[in-house]
This record gives sequence, C-alpha cells and structure tokens, in this order.
Amino acid sequence: MYNILEFTRNRSTSVEQTDDKTLRSYCHLNDTIMEAYVEIAVTIPDLEIISVQGDVLRPHKKEFKESFEFLKRVIGTRIGPGILKIVNGLTEGIRHKQFAFMLEECCHAVILLFTKEDLLSSPRPDDEEESIIYHRQMVLDNIRLYNRCAAFAPGSRIVEGIIPKDKDI
Amino acid sequence: MLKFMRNKIVGIEVKDSNTVLAHGFLDDNIYSIEMNVLIDINHLEIRDIDGRWNRWTTTECKRAIPFLKEAIGLRMEGDFSQTVRKVIGRRACRHFANLLLECCYTAKQASEVLKDKFKEKHDVNNVTSENNSDKNVTPIISADMPDHSDTPFHDKPVSFSMVIDLHMHSFPASPCSSVSVDQLIKEAKRIGLDAICLTDHNYVWDRDTVEDLRQKHGFLILRGNEITTDQGDMLVFGMEKDIKGIISLAELRKEVLESRGIIIAAHPFRGFLTVGIQQIGLTLERAIKRPMFKYVDAIETLNGSVTENENRFTEKVAERLGLPKTGGSDAHEVSRVGVYATGFIDKIKDEKDLVDAIKEGRCLPTVFRKHAGLR
Repeated sequence: MYNILEFTRNRSTSVEQTDDKTLRSYCHLNDTIMEAYVEIAVTIPDLEIISVQGDVLRPHKKEFKESFEFLKRVIGTRIGPGILKIVNGLTEGIRHKQFAFMLEECCHAVILLFTKEDLLSSPRPDDEEESIIYHRQMVLDNIRLYNRCAAFAPGSRIVEGIIPKDKDI
Repeated sequence: MLKFMRNKIVGIEVKDSNTVLAHGFLDDNIYSIEMNVLIDINHLEIRDIDGRWNRWTTTECKRAIPFLKEAIGLRMEGDFSQTVRKVIGRRACRHFANLLLECCYTAKQASEVLKDKFKEKHDVNNVTSENNSDKNVTPIISADMPDHSDTPFHDKPVSFSMVIDLHMHSFPASPCSSVSVDQLIKEAKRIGLDAICLTDHNYVWDRDTVEDLRQKHGFLILRGNEITTDQGDMLVFGMEKDIKGIISLAELRKEVLESRGIIIAAHPFRGFLTVGIQQIGLTLERAIKRPMFKYVDAIETLNGSVTENENRFTEKVAERLGLPKTGGSDAHEVSRVGVYATGFIDKIKDEKDLVDAIKEGRCLPTVFRKHAGLR
C-alpha cells in the first residue's frame, strides 16, 4: 500500500466572461468522497454577485440543498477587499463549510483574473531590474501592499528604501 | 473562452498511524507552486512543511519559502484559516496560504474517511503519540501600511469649531486594534483633537462606561459603531442596537432610521483601485450608481487606511452624489490617531449634535495630524 494515495482531491476554479457585463466564476471539486460545484455570476465593473448556484453531483444527498440556500445570502455583495469577512459572516452557520470555501474560491478567481490582466503588461521576473522597478512603483502607488507578503517585506529589494510614513516599522 | 483558471490537486499519503503527507500542487494563469505538509492526524497539527515555486511574478517571491516553516505547530482548530492567512499569507505568500489550507482540509477530510483504518493500525501497533504538547503559536501579524500623503486634499481656510476623529478602533473591543481606549484618548488630547468617536467593529459601547472615560480624561468621547454589512463596512452613529454578524445594508437602514441615527459609508472603494482592479474600468459614472449610496447619509472621503487615489475617487463620488463628507483615521494604533478627522462648523457636545451636524452637512473632512505639524 505504500505510496498509494488513500485520498485525492482536485479543485478547479475558472472564470469566463459570458457577455459584456457579466463574469461567471465556477468552482468544481472532485475528491475521493464528493463531487460538487459552486458557480457565481458577477457584474462588470461593479463586481456585484448577482447569482449563486451549486450542486453536489456525488453523493446525492438532500441535506446539501440547505447549504446552497445559505450561499445565496451573498447575492448583492461586491467582490473586493473585505469580501472574505462578508462571505464568512453571511454563511455563518452553514452546515457544510466546504461550499462556503468554494464560494470564496470563486471570488478569489475573479480578483486573480484582474490581477492577471494587469500583470500581462508588467516585466517578466527574469527581467530582474525592470521587474524590481515595476513592482517598487506598484508598492509606492499602493503602499498598503508594503509588508503584505515576503516579496514586499523589509529585506526585499523591491521595497529597499521605502519607508512608509507615519508608521513604526 | 476562459479568462482565468486555477487548478489545485492534493494527494494524501498515509505515512504511519499518526501521520499523513499532503502533497499539494497549485497551477493557474499566474502562479505555479507545490508543497509537502506532514500532518499529525490525531492532533490535526502541522509537523513539517516545505514548498517550492515553479512560476512566480516577482524576483523576490522566492523569499516566501523559509517563512512556510512558521506554520509548524499550527493546529486545525479555532480560527485556523484566519491564522494561516495571517501567518503564511502575510509573512510568506497568500497563494501558499491558500494551498496550505487546501492541503490541511483535505488531510482532515481524509482522516475522517480513513479513521477506521487508522484505528485498526493504532490498535495493532499500540502506537502512542509523542511530542503532542500544545504549542503556543503566536501569529506574527504584519500591519497595514497605509499611504499618507503630504499633499492636503482641502485648501480651505474653514474655521472649525471642533475637529473630531470620527473613526478609530480600540483593543479589546476591536481585536484587530493594538491600542487601548485610554491610549487613544491620551493621544487625541496630546495632538489637539477636540473629541473622538469610538467606532469598534460591531460593538456598542456602554453609555456609562463612556461617561466614566469622559470624566476620567476630561475629554469628549462619542459612541459609534463600525458595522459590517453585505455592502461593506458602515459607520453608524446614534443607534444603541447591538448588531451581531453580517446585516444587509437595507436592514441596517431600517434600524438606523428607527433610532434616528445616521450611516456613513466607510472607505467604500478600499482596494478597488489597487493592482488589477483598474482593469475593470470602474468609472465615476458607474461608481455613483452603486446601490449602497441609496442607504447612506454621508460618505467617508478621507480614511487613514486607504490610498490617496482611493480617497480622491471617493471624494469625487460624494461630490457627484451631493452627500456630506467625513474623515477619520481608522486608527488601529496610536501613531495613526488624527491622521484624518472631521471639522465641524458648530460646537458638538453629544451624539445628537454629531448626527444632526453630519446630516446637515455642516462638516468637512480634514487632514489633521499633518496640519498640526505632528508625526
């Protein structure tokens, strides 16, 4: 039995633009015991969640339906900073937390889509000097990014010389 | 055509009756990372972890790897997700934090599925878990580093009767704050503010407690509340009701109207103008149509935890909507008190005066701490 996996999980989250004003973010989970999906529709550019749906494809259990009703509470909220707190708050009490996590994944994917679009015009990391200049400017433009991850923390070349004002470091 | 896709794969390998190895792989349009996490399945505790980058965005992303070790000792209990997001997400990388959560929750699920198998082995081997002492893991949380411009937003020689910081957080009422209410008050007095509003998250300050603080410090302290709604954070004044959990903004509006209070949209565009989001083409015309603005009495256009651009954009929105504007530091630590504040044309002596003044727009946001020549 050694090196034979006892449990495996695949989770795939994708975003497509269905029309000029709508994005569809779809999270599909397939693991040893369950297959399920959660899907949201989001308006552009407000990133307002206008619909939520989901289902458990395996195993079929009626009890899951209640959880999907919980998820619909996020309809009308906007994806952006703080969305995690809102999703967690609105889905508090959900019986199957897995579906709340899938909803979060749908929201993350939408944010990452726009991050990707932005990065398309940035220098590649192997273009070291250009990349550092680009990201340094990004931190200067959005100082909230400072110290938000290892790459933007003191000691990183990207933030060398940057000292946020009015702040003890 | 898909515009973005993230795939995550986690495999759980049983190492012995106490331990599983979770191997996680994350691959999307931007990043590709892998990690191995050794998990004590009896105590749901991370025993070891390593990771590697396959694709990254900055030359410095590799600095995240050593910080992964800070997850060792964390247990899947309580606010585990939040802790991982803070410890690994901020010290290392949020994508590693995401994959770590995926690995841990998959391991936990696997342990439930495989518990009979574990039990069987455990009985046969009579294995006892060693080294299972509780580890007191103290997350090291990196703080926000808000932008603060030297450029004043308002060149107005307006003569204010009072300047009040309308937005600040104290510990322990707001667990995210690092400063006690006494420290906030002392600092506010030191820098010359005329009053402060305590706006802890979903927290109603007791009237008598606040009166005692007023007496003790000889300083005007007003009560507010920052309430999380489905449309984001809202500053509420003049309402006693204690709201727990997330409330819809429409519902909050009803409650506030009954109390004759007011709602101020707190930092309504926080993060919306940061990396990537400008790609969505959020325009002023679109922004002013947001449903949230139908429910608020004023907009916080100077907030100490957002960027200059976000404050400027918010100010334009407030101007287009003709809504009163306010300012507040959103201080979570002493050094931020009074960074922004609100100037009032009339004397404010209590919460009713405050509510009336804001409703009537007899106030303006102001950059206070800089104007006072303080740092």
